[in-house]
Amino acid sequence: MITRARKLGGLLLLLVTAGARCLWAQVPAIAIERQLARQFDLSVGDTVSLGTQVDSLNLLVIVGAIYEPRPDPAEIAKRERHLRMHLPDLASLLGAADRVDRISIGLRPGISADSAAAILDRGAYGYRAFSSEAIASESSQTFLVVSRFHRAIAVITVVASAVFLLCIMLLKVEERRLDAAVMRFVGVRRRTIFGALLLEASLIAVLGSALGTVLAYLAGAATNAYYRRFFDTILTFSIITPGIVAFGVVLSLVLGALAGAFAAWRLVRTRPLVLWGRG
Amino acid sequence: MRGLGWSLKGLGRHRLRSALSVAGIAISAAMLLDMVMLSGGIEKSFAELLLARGYHIRLTPKGTLPFDTEATLSGAGRLIAAIRRDSSVEAAGAVLGTSLYSRRNDSLVTLFGYGIQPEAQALYTLESGHDLGPADTTGVLLSLPAAHLLGAGLGDSVTFMGRLDPQVVTAAVGRKLVVRGIVRWVYDYRGQPSVGTVLPAMQSLAGQRIGDHVSLLMVKVREDTAAALVAARLRTAFPQLEVNSVADLVRHFKQRLVYFRQLSYILASMSLVVTVLLIGTLLTITVNERLGEIATLRAIGISRATVVREILLEGAVLTLLGSSLGIVLGLLTARYLDSILTSFPGLPAAFSFFVPRGDSLTTAALVLLLTGVLAALYPAWLAARAPIAATLRTEAT
Repeated sequence: MITRARKLGGLLLLLVTAGARCLWAQVPAIAIERQLARQFDLSVGDTVSLGTQVDSLNLLVIVGAIYEPRPDPAEIAKRERHLRMHLPDLASLLGAADRVDRISIGLRPGISADSAAAILDRGAYGYRAFSSEAIASESSQTFLVVSRFHRAIAVITVVASAVFLLCIMLLKVEERRLDAAVMRFVGVRRRTIFGALLLEASLIAVLGSALGTVLAYLAGAATNAYYRRFFDTILTFSIITPGIVAFGVVLSLVLGALAGAFAAWRLVRTRPLVLWGRG
Repeated sequence: MRGLGWSLKGLGRHRLRSALSVAGIAISAAMLLDMVMLSGGIEKSFAELLLARGYHIRLTPKGTLPFDTEATLSGAGRLIAAIRRDSSVEAAGAVLGTSLYSRRNDSLVTLFGYGIQPEAQALYTLESGHDLGPADTTGVLLSLPAAHLLGAGLGDSVTFMGRLDPQVVTAAVGRKLVVRGIVRWVYDYRGQPSVGTVLPAMQSLAGQRIGDHVSLLMVKVREDTAAALVAARLRTAFPQLEVNSVADLVRHFKQRLVYFRQLSYILASMSLVVTVLLIGTLLTITVNERLGEIATLRAIGISRATVVREILLEGAVLTLLGSSLGIVLGLLTARYLDSILTSFPGLPAAFSFFVPRGDSLTTAALVLLLTGVLAALYPAWLAARAPIAATLRTEAT
């Protein structure tokens, strides 16, 4: 818990300028994240009081540093604000001397993290050892769920787009009924008409894909700009990789060509008089 | 031929394109319904979960939400007594959450422990056995996953330990308790091995007895409508505590899941755009093909308003057909999407993201119908302004 210690600022400053160097040295320093500094209008050198309860803000500390927190997707939605203290200072504040939540161990090169964790676990009582990989796997579960959700939405979107594309291509080709009838009357072969319609459908698919790619980049940029501002973070929310672009373009080209081919096939099978509206 | 019949006949002339349009509208409608359910479902499901046992207010350490941190409140007995003195309060109880340990064979089992006041608890429902009495310091309640993990049943004795000390390789506190009942903890995630004892027993195990520490206080108000007023009163009376009514907690939760709400708005908007494009394109081309027929109708005395009404009706019929299919499709996909999202680690098992409600179905259907009619406005306008003589002459040649 942190509050501004407005009244104490001037007094401490006075002590320092009077040369109370020893007293100043006893005040613990903390590092606070940028968002917290901005929220409470704090800067390096400010004094704040900390405590575990609102009515016991007894520990005076000095803001020694302001840091940019490492972007963490798991934390952004919580909007929690963090500060860092020296371990003995925090243990003293919490009244939990020599107790910690976790211990990090760096292994010598060539030592397997899993083997080391297993050895530590065998002799353990009251703690469990995890390799960094296991922790990463556990903590990424949330994002795996989000990723599965996105994939499911993407499948629905692809199906909807395919139906939409087929429908539009069918309408687009059927608009050419009279043209197709005239061409058939003047002796143009079915195959030629089919090829022309297929080419037209493919061109529309190419143009649509190009426009879609531009739209995707614009939407991605807008998404990143919005959520970076919304969550005050430098995380990237939308990444459009060449693989994604290639998948989208190939899918729309294939679907567009198939839809165009189907519609053109229906058209060339119809008798010219029917196409002309007199059949 | 009048009204609906004319519209259906118009759609029946081009079965394939009408079927494709209906399919497209159905998928868009399904997506819209899912997103409407998602945007309102999170809020509703969370509120229902919080009110599962009728408790309206939670009090936690300042700046925290229930079980969000390990921070505790001190002097719980004094606080509870003060809260119960409020005439609007029907019940108030304290809860302590902590890690507990037990053994099965040679393995150490980690459990989640709830310290509760059985006379005022909002955390569980009894599934079998007996509930704890307020003074039952030797009894314990287990969730089914905890019972499986410990291999324990009703009447069995289990030793629980708190505060393991790695340095001396022993538990600071251990206590043998008898299993009184199997319960379902309302806020547990799937498979969470939880156990519950009366508050003093859990405080002793967790080393929180001195200072009478608890994680949160829960308050049940006599009148639902008075919850906000009582919360405000408690906020004034206990400035050192965080006081949240269910509405406040729902607001916090919504903020955390803002991404899903915004995603639902974006996808719902896209669904509507697709619907407008589909209906608008189909009807525009249909109107262009039927200009001769429309001109003939106008020439024999059918009014412009009637023609416009028929086109709008055709849009509405198309939307209705697509929406009917879309609602079925939407309910099916919602179940699938919900099964994905409810697998979030740590999420209460009773929580749902997609909650089918009458009002969400009605909203989605009305919005779609309106969209369908609006999408038909342009083709209807085209039909209304078709020049009768010129069109008939063109058709004749």
